[in-house]
Amino acid sequence: MQSPGRRLRLPPLRLVIAAWPWLLVLAALVGVRLSKGAFLSDAYAQLSRPFWPGSAQSEWLRAAQDLDQQARLDQLEADNSRLRDMLELQSTAGGLLSAPVISRQSQGWWQQLVIGRGSLHGVASGAAVLAPGGLLGRVGSVTPATATVTLLTDTSSRVGVWVGRVQHHGMLVGLGTDRPMLRFIQQDVGVRPGDVVSTSPASTLLPPNLTVGVVQSVNDRAVPAPEAVVQLSAPVEAIDWVQVRVRAQ
Amino acid sequence: MRQPWTAFSALLVPLLVLAALPPLRLAGVPPSWAVLWLLPWALADGPLSGILLGTALGLMLDGLHPGPLTQLPALVLLGWWWGRLGRRAAPIERSFNLGLLAMLGTALLGGSLWLQQLWWGQSGRAALHTLLAQTLLTALLAPMLCSLQLLLWRKLAPGLRS
Repeated sequence: MQSPGRRLRLPPLRLVIAAWPWLLVLAALVGVRLSKGAFLSDAYAQLSRPFWPGSAQSEWLRAAQDLDQQARLDQLEADNSRLRDMLELQSTAGGLLSAPVISRQSQGWWQQLVIGRGSLHGVASGAAVLAPGGLLGRVGSVTPATATVTLLTDTSSRVGVWVGRVQHHGMLVGLGTDRPMLRFIQQDVGVRPGDVVSTSPASTLLPPNLTVGVVQSVNDRAVPAPEAVVQLSAPVEAIDWVQVRVRAQ
Repeated sequence: MRQPWTAFSALLVPLLVLAALPPLRLAGVPPSWAVLWLLPWALADGPLSGILLGTALGLMLDGLHPGPLTQLPALVLLGWWWGRLGRRAAPIERSFNLGLLAMLGTALLGGSLWLQQLWWGQSGRAALHTLLAQTLLTALLAPMLCSLQLLLWRKLAPGLRS
């Protein structure tokens, strides 16, 4: 009874021994199947690397996106000023005058810039001063050829601003430090760090919808109303030319 | 001979304030050029002259800054005090004394500006930093700059102090 059984079992064993490379291949294929083709797709990735979409392609896309957004911005601005004219709100029209920064005192008892354009060039007291990044301050005094700009960080600076996400007005008060304080009038404003602060859409003193900065931290326990510290978006130390908004002649 | 020098050097003070030279700043705060100019002048020229030039400097500098803060009262007081000191006390020539007087003067000037900030309801949060930095820097520069000016004023008017 034993020998036929052995005879029956031995050939498969021999076959198995003879076919072990094929079994290895089979095990590898099962492995590939179980790992969802990991080896195959990795090998494909290695082989096809020279043909991957390079940085040039993403730059094209970004450039196209920038162009699209710029065009939309221009269109919306034109639309906005037309609607403002219809509503007889303060117009955003009026020229922007480039002016060099000839003196910069951003620390100390006063936070101010002196710019090389004055009343002869149409700069008036109270005009908004812009820089790449957003609002910088307002013209405090004017001489024929120069103007002194009170920065938003100056202790005498008080500017009404608007937090768009929560639709609340606030007063941006300079502290003499790099970051001014945003004071609210209402109790529950729900402002969070990261909220963008801009000039009010209905502002009459300043051009509407200019970026001012980003809320950095909020003190909800301040009395009588919450306060927030704002990081300004325009870097004062790095700016050599500013733009002054002059009224349309 | 002395008046052109006085006028020229006094006019240099607002120009230096406007220039706000980056190397001569401590933590971003410039020194008090008004103190650095007024100290040797008042020591050499007496209290009345100190008051007059303190007023002149105060008026010029207040014109440069927007806002309600003024340096005039502190500068007038310092001009009078240093002028009196120059007349009454033994002659002050040592650099250490000049540094100490400049330090006290700048601290007084900064303190008056701080009080004005509080009076006008402005935030005095950065005031201590500004006051300390300006006082330190002015006191460090005073021995060098003030002794040279003191020499100049005494040379131009040798008979004044006797």
